[in-house]
Amino acid sequence: MTLSRRLLCVITDEISDPVALARMALEGGAGMIQLRRKTASGRDLYEWAVRIQELCQQQHALFIINDRVDIAMVMHADGVHLGQQDLPVSAARTLLGPDTLIGVSVSTPEEAVRAAENGADYIGVGHIFPTFSKHKPSKPLGTTAIRTIGNASGLPVIAIGGIGLDNAGEVIRSGATGIAVISAVSGCDDPASATRELLNRIRQ
Amino acid sequence: MAEKHPPLPRLMIVSSGKEHLSHSSLAMKQALIIARSEQPVIFQLREKSLTASDMFQLGHSIATLFKDGKSILIINERFDIALAAGAGGVHLPESSCPADVIRKSARGLLAGQSAHSEAACLETASARLDYLLFGPVFHTPSKTPFGPPQGLERLRDICSKLRIPVFAVGGITPEKVPACIENGAYGIAALAPFLDTVSLPETIKHYHSFMSS
Repeated sequence: MTLSRRLLCVITDEISDPVALARMALEGGAGMIQLRRKTASGRDLYEWAVRIQELCQQQHALFIINDRVDIAMVMHADGVHLGQQDLPVSAARTLLGPDTLIGVSVSTPEEAVRAAENGADYIGVGHIFPTFSKHKPSKPLGTTAIRTIGNASGLPVIAIGGIGLDNAGEVIRSGATGIAVISAVSGCDDPASATRELLNRIRQ
Repeated sequence: MAEKHPPLPRLMIVSSGKEHLSHSSLAMKQALIIARSEQPVIFQLREKSLTASDMFQLGHSIATLFKDGKSILIINERFDIALAAGAGGVHLPESSCPADVIRKSARGLLAGQSAHSEAACLETASARLDYLLFGPVFHTPSKTPFGPPQGLERLRDICSKLRIPVFAVGGITPEKVPACIENGAYGIAALAPFLDTVSLPETIKHYHSFMSS
């Protein structure tokens, strides 16, 4: 599966109602929703996934699940997004088959090359800018890393980390296929219009 | 149950849940002893604080030890990890993704579930699972979050209503095994009695000696 250019992926946060957030992000035009809730039970994840998948299908957006390959399998989700601490990419590929999108979080060219060799479809590169959505002890990579790491792997890059209205355009001009955001949408009073404005910036 | 599985063992040992803290890799030590044991065991790897990557690695190592033996490795909740690691099955907590949904995707795996109420037991029964874990039957500190002890009468009642093997869990010392079996349990599950790896070979034998009917 290939990713469309100038893709906006909205990731659910740890506190909002994920279904309501997904609905608003899709209303704003998000092309991909990633269900991510590290502390949720399997039952909650499944119930949210059923409803978010339906919303995504209505809007022709991609629905992917963070970490939980099991939930992605039972849902026949469009994809999974794996961190370096999650199930190995090669194992996930074997379980999911060739048609399910697999994204992998990387922060070095070496991790990117390994992700490509093991069957990833895209890489999430970050964090590009300082961010408070996730605890990050390392320094931001900056926008130059998008090309360096992307070129090393040959895979499309979805940039993540501290991306908002002020820098989304720069990220795309630096070679990213898309951007992924958490707080830039979930932390806004009006997630639908926040999504719409981000899309405007990355489509300019 | 899929044909390739050996008969379902009647003793389930649950891992400590402390793998992320210990550098001594207790689960691996337990697994080595279980793999050498003449009595078959279900070893449930329940390590909620481990990352999926670490669970996969540990599961794969243990599955390799159990290969061709009579004991079965079962991974808590994550059937994707169970399949990838080559484990024999998956054990679903009560709050897992619905069992009937998992049953369709977890092909070839044994699948069982914990249930702490009659309603949960009956729901599980309709999902074509291979076994049910019911408790706590007796008082036990580790199962306090799952409410007061259910007692032997509740166990008997549940077992009479279900057609799948029921494992009793919660405060089951070897001496309490016969009472569980007499009340309809297929087997028993426990964690604390199996933490001491020095006495583990004897403890497994001791439990099995009370199991034979």
